[in-house]
Amino acid sequence: MSSGAADRGATSRPAREGRPEPADTGGWRPWRLTDAPAAMFLIVPVLVLFGIAVVYPLIETIRLSFYEIRGLAEPSYVGLGNYLTLFGDPTFRNTIATTLLFTLGVTAISVALGWAMAMLCSFAPAQTLPFRMMVFAAFAIPETVSGYMWVTILRPDRAGLLNSVIGAFIPDFSRAWLGDATTARWALIIAASWSAVGLPLLVCFAAVRAIPKSLIEAAYVDGARPISMMRHILMPLSLTGVRVAIFINLLGALRAFDIIFVLTGGGPVRATETIGYFMYRESMTQFKLGYGAAATVVLLIAVSVVSIPAIIQRTAQAK
Amino acid sequence: MRRGIHTTRRGRWLAAAGAVLLVGATSLAGATSAADAQDLDGELVILQWQGGVEADLWADLGAAFVEANSGVEIREVVLTGTGDMRGPMRTALLGGEVVDIVINTWPAFRAELADAGIIGPIDEAWEENDWSALLSDSWRDLGALPDGTYGLTYTYGNRSGIWYKPEHLENAGIEPPETWDALIASFDALNEAGYQTPFAIPGQFWAHAELFETLLIRTSGVETATALAAHDIPWTDPAVRGALEKYAELLDAGCCADAAAMLANDWDGEADQLFLADERNYLMIGMWMNARARNDYGMAEGEDYSLFQFPALGLGHDNTSMVDSKEVNLTTNGDNPEAAIAFFDFLLTAEAATILADYGFASPSAEADTSLLGPVQQISTAAVADSEVQFVLGDLLPGDLVDEYRVQLQRFLQDPSEETIDAVLEAIEAKALDLY
Repeated sequence: MSSGAADRGATSRPAREGRPEPADTGGWRPWRLTDAPAAMFLIVPVLVLFGIAVVYPLIETIRLSFYEIRGLAEPSYVGLGNYLTLFGDPTFRNTIATTLLFTLGVTAISVALGWAMAMLCSFAPAQTLPFRMMVFAAFAIPETVSGYMWVTILRPDRAGLLNSVIGAFIPDFSRAWLGDATTARWALIIAASWSAVGLPLLVCFAAVRAIPKSLIEAAYVDGARPISMMRHILMPLSLTGVRVAIFINLLGALRAFDIIFVLTGGGPVRATETIGYFMYRESMTQFKLGYGAAATVVLLIAVSVVSIPAIIQRTAQAK
Repeated sequence: MRRGIHTTRRGRWLAAAGAVLLVGATSLAGATSAADAQDLDGELVILQWQGGVEADLWADLGAAFVEANSGVEIREVVLTGTGDMRGPMRTALLGGEVVDIVINTWPAFRAELADAGIIGPIDEAWEENDWSALLSDSWRDLGALPDGTYGLTYTYGNRSGIWYKPEHLENAGIEPPETWDALIASFDALNEAGYQTPFAIPGQFWAHAELFETLLIRTSGVETATALAAHDIPWTDPAVRGALEKYAELLDAGCCADAAAMLANDWDGEADQLFLADERNYLMIGMWMNARARNDYGMAEGEDYSLFQFPALGLGHDNTSMVDSKEVNLTTNGDNPEAAIAFFDFLLTAEAATILADYGFASPSAEADTSLLGPVQQISTAAVADSEVQFVLGDLLPGDLVDEYRVQLQRFLQDPSEETIDAVLEAIEAKALDLY
């Protein structure tokens, strides 16, 4: 059966000799050069907005990174000077290590927890809906708000929730969780993971629910137990959702700032300072805009290294 | 900038010429002042970065000024943030905010604003309004740069005072310590009275430097602090080392919590520990603590809490005190410099001093009635009046250096050993060499 468009083409304009017949487009007219103005008309506003909101600030940041700007003084061109100083700066090198630990820690914990919860919830989807909503609600809370909540949990005195809970079992227990470098780093990772676990739960749950029911029913019929079901069916077949969750949480953790600002301010002794926080401190507190811009460019490269391959892969899959 | 004022005054002089013949020069001066106030109009824009009680104080000061100058409308460009507010202020000013008045507390920032041409000298206004009759030369010097006076100080605070609750010391059977040895000895007495951590050191951001700075001037004088701020002496100088050794002596005497607890709290958290939780006994912090104790904790000044000046070390510099101040700067691009100058003038009046006193802040103006101050403020102002003063060191250092200085002092708190003292001072000096 030929399409209406193909019929119209056949009756109004007979095919010339030696020229192939137009393909059956299934009801859609093939793209023609005359569509270009309409396409441009639709895409130009987006391109203009993208240029103003993304490309211009990006170019300006890169340009600033070649200048030394201290406070309100006149900028002076220093070429790659800021980058050379940056990589020679032991504080910045420490922030790279802290960023890696924080990013990997938050991503691993939040995705593992979200994935595990998604698989467990899939056994009783209706009954676990309120639970999933509660976990996801944490994702919707602004990081500054959750940061202040964690401040009250981690207070160094006995009024802190964590200290008082432990104090119920160990009399006079009191620990300054945010005053020690090791515990402060892990406190930050746990606090950020708590906020971030909602998204992996949502994405992985959707991936688990997308697994064909016939497969799961067949496994039941074959006598598979829940653990085997999780290991051999749910885990491998929900990996698509896990990959998306890893990608999103990795980017989020890499750019983290708010929760660090509220909980530790980068301390103690800069132990929890990530690249994002370093960038803020240099740009906003010290007002070394050029140096801060160089750190921003480095962070941008790190984000690109993580995101571009993933975007290319996703785009290829979409085709 | 001053042309507007001159033109207005010339016009009034002509109009009042007949009256001059009749009522004489004294009456004319009064009539001119009143006319000045009547003629002021337009919007007066103030860059406001303070919050809480100080924001309320400024609202009251503004309302009182507007009441006397009904043609003027005050608008505050309010900045919000935590920590060092110079960043948001720079962003606002570079971002095109046009204001008439900048409230400032950092001498280094005053120089930066002046170098960038954002604020201008006020020497002409100073002479015209005879502010020297109300502010002594030392206050003028405090707001000066090498090429002129840029800041008019409206309040100041003692930064070498130690806050305490009389009840704690009574429980321990001791008086506020007047000497270093008495301070050290008081720790045992307080421990026996059930207080495990006598001295609060809020080390999360910057407040742990307060103790070091007073120890620096008490061990080697204000000249050393001035020289250090200008980097005329290195941070590795024995005088600087001596101050840190005294600090270590205090820590070794069991004054304080463990390093993690010190680094986990800022000054407000430690103030809560002292005044609300009764877990600390001494806190060294600026006079804004007075407003917090009165307004936030609802405590009675001089009864529920009090202040004593840092104990004498007996090293020849016990008459020194660290101070801070707040000043107003006049911008070069403001739309209403006449109203700004009038507001500066108002800040030195008895009315403004009374409003400041109501909020627990001291005014340096000769118009201020010190009897209006609460008992704690009176202790503080008397201590400063009797002292050789030095402006807070941290506010005199370049931004980069002050950050390194505070972080290195945190390292010192983690391990106050001889080796750490050397490492800390070398690290600060290395940063200073990059900057000066």
